[in-house]
Amino acid sequence: MKTTKLGLSGGEAIAYALKQINPEVFAMYPITPQTPIIESYARYSANGLVDTEIIRTESEHSALSAVIGASAAGTRAVTATASQGLLYMYEALSVASGLRLPIVMPVANRAISAPINIHCDHSDSMSALDQGWMQVYCENAQEAYDMTLFGLRLAESVYLPIMVCIDGFFTSHNMEVLNVYDDLSVKKFIGEFKPKYNLLDTEHPVTVGALALPDNYMEIRKEMFDAFLDVKDNYKKTSDEFKVSFGKEINFYEDYFASSSEVVLVVLSSTGEASKDIIDKLRLHGMSVGLLRPILFRPFLYDEYLKPLKKAKKIIVLERTEGPGSYPPLYKDICLTIMNEKNKPEIHSLVFGLGGRDIYQKDIEDVLLSVISGKKLKSRYIGIKE
Amino acid sequence: MNSKELACKLLDKKNMVSGYRTCAGCPIAIICKTVIAASDKPVVVASATSCAEVTTTVYPQTAWNIPWIHSLFANSAATISGVESAYKAQKKKGKIKKDINFLVISGDGGSYDIGLASLSGAWERGHNFVYLCYDNEGYMNCLSKDSLIYTETGLKKITEIDVGEKVYAFDQKTNKLILKRCSGIFDNGVKKVYEIETLHHNIKATGNHPFLVVNKVPKGKPNRLIWKTLEELKKGDRVITLKKLEGKKAFTFKKITLSKKGDYKVNCINKVKIPKKSTSDLMLFLGLYVGDGWARKKGEIGFALPEGAVGRDKCIAACKKVFGLKTITTDKFYIYMNSINITRFIDSLGFEHGAKNKIIPSWIYTIPDDQKEAFIEGLLLSDGYVYKKKKDSCRYLSASKELILRLRLLLQTLNYRVGKVTVQRKEKGTFVVYRPLLKDAEYYSICFSKKYPWNIAKYPTQYKYQNFLIGNENFDTEIIKNIKEIGKEQTYDLRVDGEHNFIADGIVVHNTGNQRSSATPKGAVTTTTPAGKASYGKIEFPKDLAKIAAAHNIPYVAQVNSHNQIDMFEKAKKAFDVNGPAVLVSFAACPTNMKAPSSQTIKISKLATETCFWPLYEVINGKVIINYKPEKKLPIEEFLKTQTKFKDVLKPENKAVLKSIQDEVDRRYRELLSLESIGKEKE
Repeated sequence: MKTTKLGLSGGEAIAYALKQINPEVFAMYPITPQTPIIESYARYSANGLVDTEIIRTESEHSALSAVIGASAAGTRAVTATASQGLLYMYEALSVASGLRLPIVMPVANRAISAPINIHCDHSDSMSALDQGWMQVYCENAQEAYDMTLFGLRLAESVYLPIMVCIDGFFTSHNMEVLNVYDDLSVKKFIGEFKPKYNLLDTEHPVTVGALALPDNYMEIRKEMFDAFLDVKDNYKKTSDEFKVSFGKEINFYEDYFASSSEVVLVVLSSTGEASKDIIDKLRLHGMSVGLLRPILFRPFLYDEYLKPLKKAKKIIVLERTEGPGSYPPLYKDICLTIMNEKNKPEIHSLVFGLGGRDIYQKDIEDVLLSVISGKKLKSRYIGIKE
Repeated sequence: MNSKELACKLLDKKNMVSGYRTCAGCPIAIICKTVIAASDKPVVVASATSCAEVTTTVYPQTAWNIPWIHSLFANSAATISGVESAYKAQKKKGKIKKDINFLVISGDGGSYDIGLASLSGAWERGHNFVYLCYDNEGYMNCLSKDSLIYTETGLKKITEIDVGEKVYAFDQKTNKLILKRCSGIFDNGVKKVYEIETLHHNIKATGNHPFLVVNKVPKGKPNRLIWKTLEELKKGDRVITLKKLEGKKAFTFKKITLSKKGDYKVNCINKVKIPKKSTSDLMLFLGLYVGDGWARKKGEIGFALPEGAVGRDKCIAACKKVFGLKTITTDKFYIYMNSINITRFIDSLGFEHGAKNKIIPSWIYTIPDDQKEAFIEGLLLSDGYVYKKKKDSCRYLSASKELILRLRLLLQTLNYRVGKVTVQRKEKGTFVVYRPLLKDAEYYSICFSKKYPWNIAKYPTQYKYQNFLIGNENFDTEIIKNIKEIGKEQTYDLRVDGEHNFIADGIVVHNTGNQRSSATPKGAVTTTTPAGKASYGKIEFPKDLAKIAAAHNIPYVAQVNSHNQIDMFEKAKKAFDVNGPAVLVSFAACPTNMKAPSSQTIKISKLATETCFWPLYEVINGKVIINYKPEKKLPIEEFLKTQTKFKDVLKPENKAVLKSIQDEVDRRYRELLSLESIGKEKE
């Protein structure tokens, strides 16, 4: 295996991984901040570097629909989206998972309307948590690249679609240096797609997407639910293969001193990277703080997530999304994780960075120090104007 | 091409096989089959959510013998884009060698309305596919009708059946009796109902209710079973009927609260034992009770069995044996038993009270044959006759019609031959079974006798030819003797898992509910554009999908109609042969939407074309060709008046609306004619 260092934005890194995958069909419809992905890919195609059939659809709804058609026709098919685009294809999300099609879809997380806003937060993909898609959240361009390759293999091992989420602009548009692997090793890693069924096999006709009435619907849906139970083992297996191919392990989450700390900060995606500096700083001062950055968010592996939280006395969950009238999803899942613990840690839910509002290292430090010293937090919303 | 050649083509290609559940009179299957048969290459279908999808793929069955995908309502064109692109990619890589045609099947909702954006996109991108839109002028929801059903727990009214309950059905593969789960019950509204009469059965059903019928074929070939709707049935057709349904085990009675000494106002009580399970003796007793008995709340059970009646001694003996009642009083005409607990027990069994209201409760249909026979013996001992000359020919008489109807069905589970229900009127004072009548009364009676097994040994081939269910334990075929209309009734339907049949004196599959789409014509009444004091129905003219398609400058667009299948076939052929998008828009006369009889589908379709409401034309690379110009263009009323949905627009006060419809039809047709002449001038 050979690695090359490249300077790519997160979007380009994903496009690079997709180029190496060279799927048969790519349905594209532009939406900021996902556009770098499809633009880069269109360039690859224009230069003859891939032989993908590109379908430039008239909407995201059609983009995912076309991908569903192509995947059911036994080929690898991808599309990418963000924000309103994801919401517009929402209807088709459950079809992809219900028909058990291993579609890979990068999502550049962006706020949702109204008011309209093109910047990063996680409200888009978080609103699609229960549509039968796996979700992984990536910290940087390197992880975005890795998870695109990894996600494809994982999806094809369990026949479930997967969203590979990156932070819009913060990751999608920022240039980073990353290691990419040689085409041959990638080709070997991803292997051949073995479809469950194939519409183009006219000798063996199949009826896909039949009407299931109350007598059968529940069983068919349950098959899809059960597929999520297989994700854990397949994730591990794929991780082993990834390690053999590229010398790197892919974990369910990043445990940055979390399992040995009393105070644990939980945050997704690029904010995780930024938080590590503060963790380092506070640890230098002798404070027992750590970071838990979930990567695999759907399915949420409660037993796995309990491991790094065993020692925690205080947990702070920072999220780029809110659960209006309730709590945001990551906080709820962390609560469920520690639900049966004898000495339940104290747990805080904080919301930050909606619509791309910046979060500063100072903000995170303040929150951590307040919680450590037991001071009351001023507001659940970090950086909100009064 | 002539119709014979077309018929051969359709028979030759089994792309869409029978067993789909479209309504009677629905042209969707005709349209789909004709179009698909026109392709000489394998076809892959993407379907939008629509009648064609709902009626052909009820899991775990499918009518499709070709690859078929349904994903959503709005995205069939996008789905086929993906499938076709996957095909191109695979072909490029050499992974697929053969040529494949791609077809979308969608209703008007999925094309004119919610799916138009995705359709427009697919046209613009130029995918190589045929888009078939069957325009049934609105949104329809699939639903269904009628009567007494044989279920695992006995004979039940359709309205008493719960979803999940098991009902008996005919397994079309093995010709055997099977139990299947009922997965839905539908109120089908008030419908015209017909009665079918066979030698031993009477069946009530609506006109579009399918029946399993023997399709006779020439000698030497095995007979087949086919589904025919009631309207298609003729005298002489053989329908499948139930002849035997063996009960498996004795019925366990529900526990009832018994009175005991010390209860309010109870000073003394006759000791009795209440049976837990049904037995032959009990059934004989109950048979007598249904015929000649009464039970009063105070605890008196009486039988009108006069001295000398054969039943009298048997009744007393059975009562003693079953209930252990010691004191039974008798006089010249009656037997009396006093036990509050026996009355309660009888009360709990569901026989109902009063000579006119008595019925045979559901559970009796589940008990073993010997117990059923005992019950019938009891009945015969009360109000029955056994003809002395023919020992096993019997007649039973009752004032309760329901009782007779249910008895008939009970006898049919015991392999009896049962005659028609006959009514007789008796005047006050006449003697009926030992008693003078107190007032004028109507009596119902049936005759029945045990069936003898066929002498197969003597006439082997003859019987096999006549009745291939010979030797079948549970089913038989019977010749239809009469079919008559009997008025309007509330109707229901069941949906049964797996087999789509059940055993009743009636079944239907029908659609109800229809909503407006942008293809619904002006003046049509739908459930979302109802007529009322302030409205005559839909006020807008419909969209013109063929013109919208033509405006995309795609190579082939055609308007077709189901009354002209040859035209449809030839256009479909052209559509498949074109490289790039092609569109076929078909008028699909929907009986539910039109509120017209299902037998009129093709006639109405033809009128749509004869009035130029639905002209047959094609647009080949932008050039318009009208394929059929009626010699005498009929006024639009001719088309509208065939359908109840236009009844309000045809009222005198809506004359102006009617004129506007005629004007619009004329304008659109003139426009078409001028487009055609422009095309000719260019040449």
